Amino acid sequence: MGASALVRSAAMPAASAAKADVAVSVRDVDVVFGERESAVTALSGVSVDIPAGSLVTMLGPSGCGKSTLLRAIADLVPLGAGEITVLGRSPEQARRERNFSFVFQDATLLPWRSAIDNVRLPLEVGGGGSAHAEPAELLELVGLKGREKALPSELSGGMRQRVAIARALVSRPKILLMDEPFGALDEITRDKLNEELLRIWRETGTTIMFVTHSIPEAAFLGQHVLVLASHPGRVKEFVTVDLPAERRLAMRDTLEFVQITAHLRRLLEEC
Amino acid sequence: MADVAHRSPALTQTAAFGFADRFRDRLPALLAVVGLVAGWQLVVWAFSVPTYMAPGPLDVLASFRDDGWTLWNNFWPTFFESVLGFVFGNLVAILLAIWFVHSRTAEKAFYPIAVFINTIPIIAVAPILVLIFGSGYLPKVIIAALICFFPTLVNMVRGLKAVTPATLDLMRVLSASKSEIFWKVRIQSSLPFLFAALKIASTTCVIGAIVAEWIGSNYGLGALIIEATYNFRSPLLYATVFTAALLAVLLFTLVSIAETRLIRWKTSDVH
Repeated sequence: MGASALVRSAAMPAASAAKADVAVSVRDVDVVFGERESAVTALSGVSVDIPAGSLVTMLGPSGCGKSTLLRAIADLVPLGAGEITVLGRSPEQARRERNFSFVFQDATLLPWRSAIDNVRLPLEVGGGGSAHAEPAELLELVGLKGREKALPSELSGGMRQRVAIARALVSRPKILLMDEPFGALDEITRDKLNEELLRIWRETGTTIMFVTHSIPEAAFLGQHVLVLASHPGRVKEFVTVDLPAERRLAMRDTLEFVQITAHLRRLLEEC
Repeated sequence: MADVAHRSPALTQTAAFGFADRFRDRLPALLAVVGLVAGWQLVVWAFSVPTYMAPGPLDVLASFRDDGWTLWNNFWPTFFESVLGFVFGNLVAILLAIWFVHSRTAEKAFYPIAVFINTIPIIAVAPILVLIFGSGYLPKVIIAALICFFPTLVNMVRGLKAVTPATLDLMRVLSASKSEIFWKVRIQSSLPFLFAALKIASTTCVIGAIVAEWIGSNYGLGALIIEATYNFRSPLLYATVFTAALLAVLLFTLVSIAETRLIRWKTSDVH
């Protein structure tokens, strides 16, 4: 309907996309948990290309395997079939080379370390990686200047998640994988962090894959929305959001935005 | 004049607020102790209880004065046995716990044996050890160590395993090695568990040393208890018991101080 002017849809991502522009390539991926009779197919025949430098949100009903797909890309879940390449490498290679960082739903900060020491953690383990950013500058980037010495217990939930984002950025990853990072936060904090994530994305040029179960969040953040269907988890549609890259919270009250969320909601209802 | 006189006590009150506040906080406990001691003395007087049966607090105080030197000389052997037992018992427990966490086979093989050793009443083991090791320091240290060993082992194993799956995912994404996970995460997160056990051990190690001294010794607070009992020197017996309690309180306080210095963080980050 009216949404068609704003939303370009494709059942499969454009296969013609040049390989160099693809950050993450997922080909016919199956992920199965458990064995034999108790086996559950979490993902079945998933294929998608994530353009380099883009912000792709992943949306779907619970059990659709959106977190599983993200964890498979991060080498946290073994593949049953298919292939994933991250910047042309296997997920394991990419992990060892620190090509991506992961932000979890819980901030997973080490409670005995101060904010800045938590940001330093990736530099102290696993070889540390080659390039790295200045932890103090990253805390400033996420709006925590002056709280460097604070322990996690002295920070609010939103602040802890900001520290987690700074920690994820410290090894200058080319790709940032975020698994419902703001899911446990209140709506006001969430809105603020959404705006700041867009600012960080523009400033760092990182490719971001962002799992969420919130339709407005998926539409507000994403240049593209990967809609997944459940039982078994598969790609429903790769939606391109035609909104300007510069986004303001007020944009969510515009007709264009509402048409996009309506389209996403329809897709989810069909799942 | 009147104004100045009025103001200065108010100022000193602010300065001494911390002390006065703490005193008021402890007042009920202090009053209860004074009341109990007074009641004890009154009962002894009112019913003319013979001193050998139950001495009054004044008799016990007199014993502290008259037999102070004896108490002092017998305090130190028990002190050293308790501390050495505490150190060795906990050290072995901690090392064993670390081994168990790294080797499932070791845990399966030796955990049942540890449980079995724990089920043997310490009073039953004491004579055996005295027969083997004679009446020197060694059997006392071993018994004090034995009594510390089990709670620390159980708690330390739990503490080292008390790492959230999310934190382990984080360390995996960072390609952290097993030893990095151990030093950066497991050791720290086990500390609250370890100190809970060490606090128990700080008082039970004194019990171990005293029980060992009952069996075969002519020095130490345990030996003094036996001697005072057989000679109907009840005030000395009571004074010895109080000295032993004081020793336990001293060790407990030392462990508590170490705990507050080492663990400045709260676990509130872990949901």
